Amino acid sequence: MSSVPLLAFEAIEKSFGAVRALRGVSFELRAGEVHALLGENGAGKSTLIKVATGAHAPDAGHLVIGGRRLARLDPASARVHGIACIYQQPALFPDLTVAENLALRLEPPQLARRVDRAGRRRRAAELLQRIGAALPPEAEVRNLSMPEQQLVEIASALGAGARIVIMDEPTASLTQREQVRLFQTVRTLREAGAGIIYISHRLDEIFELADRVTILRDGASVGTRVAGELSEAELIRLMVGREMNSLFPPPLGPVGDTVLELRAVGCRAAGVRDVSLTVRAGEVLGLAGLVGAGRTELAGVLFGLTPADAGEILLGGRSVTIDSPRTALAHGLAYVPEDRRRHGVVLELPVAQNITLAAHRTLFPGGWLRSGVERKLAGEFIARFAIRTAGPGAPVASLSGGNQQKVALARWLATAPRVLILDEPTQGVDVGAKGEIHRLIRELAARGLAVLLISSDLPEILGMSDRIGVMRGGTIADVLPGTAAAPEVMAAALGTAGKGAA
Amino acid sequence: MRRAGEFLRGALRRHEVLLLLVLVVEWGLFYHYGTTVNRRGVVVGFGTLDRQFDVLRHSCEIGLLALALTPVILTAGIDLSVGSLLGLCAVVFGQLWHDAGLPVGAAAGLTLVAGALGGAVNAGLVAGLRLPPLIVTLGTYSLFRGLAEALTRGAVTYTDFPAGFLFLGQERWLGLPTQAWVFLVAAAAIGVLVHRTVTGRAFRVLGFAPEGARYAGLAVGRTLAIAYVLAGTVAAAAALIYTARIGQAKADAGTGYELYAITAVVLGGTSIFGGRGSVPGTLLGVAAIAVLKNGLATIPAVIRLNAAEEMAGLLTGALLLLALALGALGQAGKVEG
Ligand SMILES: Nc1ncnc2c1ncn2[C@@H]1O[C@H](COP(=O)(O)OP(=O)(O)OP(=O)(O)O)[C@@H](O)[C@H]1O
Ligand SMILES: [Mg+2]
Repeated sequence: MSSVPLLAFEAIEKSFGAVRALRGVSFELRAGEVHALLGENGAGKSTLIKVATGAHAPDAGHLVIGGRRLARLDPASARVHGIACIYQQPALFPDLTVAENLALRLEPPQLARRVDRAGRRRRAAELLQRIGAALPPEAEVRNLSMPEQQLVEIASALGAGARIVIMDEPTASLTQREQVRLFQTVRTLREAGAGIIYISHRLDEIFELADRVTILRDGASVGTRVAGELSEAELIRLMVGREMNSLFPPPLGPVGDTVLELRAVGCRAAGVRDVSLTVRAGEVLGLAGLVGAGRTELAGVLFGLTPADAGEILLGGRSVTIDSPRTALAHGLAYVPEDRRRHGVVLELPVAQNITLAAHRTLFPGGWLRSGVERKLAGEFIARFAIRTAGPGAPVASLSGGNQQKVALARWLATAPRVLILDEPTQGVDVGAKGEIHRLIRELAARGLAVLLISSDLPEILGMSDRIGVMRGGTIADVLPGTAAAPEVMAAALGTAGKGAA
Repeated sequence: MRRAGEFLRGALRRHEVLLLLVLVVEWGLFYHYGTTVNRRGVVVGFGTLDRQFDVLRHSCEIGLLALALTPVILTAGIDLSVGSLLGLCAVVFGQLWHDAGLPVGAAAGLTLVAGALGGAVNAGLVAGLRLPPLIVTLGTYSLFRGLAEALTRGAVTYTDFPAGFLFLGQERWLGLPTQAWVFLVAAAAIGVLVHRTVTGRAFRVLGFAPEGARYAGLAVGRTLAIAYVLAGTVAAAAALIYTARIGQAKADAGTGYELYAITAVVLGGTSIFGGRGSVPGTLLGVAAIAVLKNGLATIPAVIRLNAAEEMAGLLTGALLLLALALGALGQAGKVEG
């Protein structure tokens, strides 16, 4: 490990209006290290890396890249300096193939030149192989899963000769298996001498992957430590500023009658078939499975996004037809979706309006908006979830990722549902808020809600579920007791050993 | 923490403030250059009250169409058919009254229903079949006009409406041109709908994030349908006022009005991509265009050149592009997650 930093931030400051997102942050990245950037939601992590990619100009301070002092960067020169960033949402062209997307990133723009298709494909194949991704270069990006698209992003970073690779919450929606693959890639990059800045709220990943850790709190650096010399408790204390246990809360009340029952439910369009399941009042039913196993698709069927075309759905013992999210809402179903930026919140709308959006019918009788009621309710949720915002009138786009997630959750709790379907509810949420959401789930269950919890975070599924439904190939492969161990769940998710492992 | 939100809200309001400023400057210039004293020593031109009422009278039809279009554009839609529907409704009204011999009141009522039906055609295709509004209303734009021409065989013009009806378009009531009252009531009603009801909120959400609206359990189809049916109904009201002002109903009534109306809406700060915009903004946009158009026709130099129409078109275009450019600059400072 060389001691000359690849990249150094010196006393970077950045404000958005009155919000001081960064107040003099210094930080350095060495060649051949994975440097984790940690902190609570809104601590300033994303803002800091946007300074490094040239997306934001710092108000004060400077960067040193390869020994050169720079007051600011723009995206083009960041690329020239070998900085590549892999965002949580891959930014590829869905209609083009993998090879074409890579060519667009890597070939210098030129008018009128023959397209060397074979050459493009060869180079794409070579890059993909270097990161150990088994993807065909001629696959269209629209047909790839999110993790696969992330691999394409990484291949493009590699192809551009990036020496500084930044990853902002890359695993927020990856399951165990894709995560393992991603980690291998990160290690390959590290071996090749690149420096990697890695942002994540999953502490187990940090301990597995990171060499050093820098912790941000309220836009200031609390210190840089060697990862191996830190305990989890210490890390949390540095992030949150107080002691906190990271244990999952136990169930608070007894399990009651069946609220939701599925009898051989299927939907051809969504690839869901023959799902039979019951969820009882006060129960948290975890749904585990690999990416593509059909968990989100099942949620879509239940919530009327892709209505069921087979089987029967019973709510409180009565057979119901759910043909749209609107009827689902009317039946007391709530769904906090996986893709928060596209489905979970309306970015341009203020926080308060986002929170009340699904509860119009009860909050605004007669269809008349009542700003007093709206502000009061929003204020309650902002306080209860500690949502960090300039105010209820600020657009959700101005919130950090984790705080946007809290708004998405608040919107559905405001509808006072009977059945709550949570799809990756703690993605991108910090330890403190994660514990808060877990406690909240228990509290809601104790009040008689039936909770369906979809999560790729296996410890979360194991820690929170009263029973675990394991999905594979669009149906429930197995229902395990909440006391099941990780290997059991993994085995059920993969199917019989050796078969689903490819 | 507080200032960021305030800045954004301020920016939103700023567009309207800016437009108000433009309006005042316009008005001042025309007052100065467009008011003259004729040979007999009488004040004529822009500065007279009569002229001001004229401006108001002439802006009511396009103003109504602009009001009708505001909710549609807020949903990120468009309705190109409102001008044609105005023509069709004028013809329908003429036929109901003249050919079918209905009393004027009943004919007017049924004309409004016809407008709603026209809007329902758009609504069915846009909300029901989820076809792109631009294509749908481009189709009905031709369809409605063609229908109007077919009904009159392109030749019949209905005239000789009773004085009671012409009062609506040619007289004053309570000090204002009669149709101004219709316009004001429509503006208030649509303003309340857009800014004070859950339907108005749903218009915006649809404009910002159509998928997000569905996931939030909003009544997407119904909301879209309301916007288009309302647009058709208001276009019919504009047809009645137009007929009453001109005193005749024929198939080419309101030709090209949709473009003026869209210009007014966009000038008023409503984003053509949906979500952002306001009814007061639309009113200011209508006023800015109306004053420009009428004011130019009062400036002696322009009258001598006989170029009021052309200059009005030119300046309206320039004003619109300026407003869009300013809007884009405002957007550049927009927050990103
Ligand atoms: N474009 C913006 N406009 C206004 N405020 C912003 C903007 N971007 C970030 N902020 C604010 O700056 C602070 C830091 O946000 P940032 O996104 O860097 O947090 P983060 O550490 O990445 O959090 P998370 O873990 O939730 O992603 C937050 O208070 C956020 O609301
Ligand atoms: Mg972030």
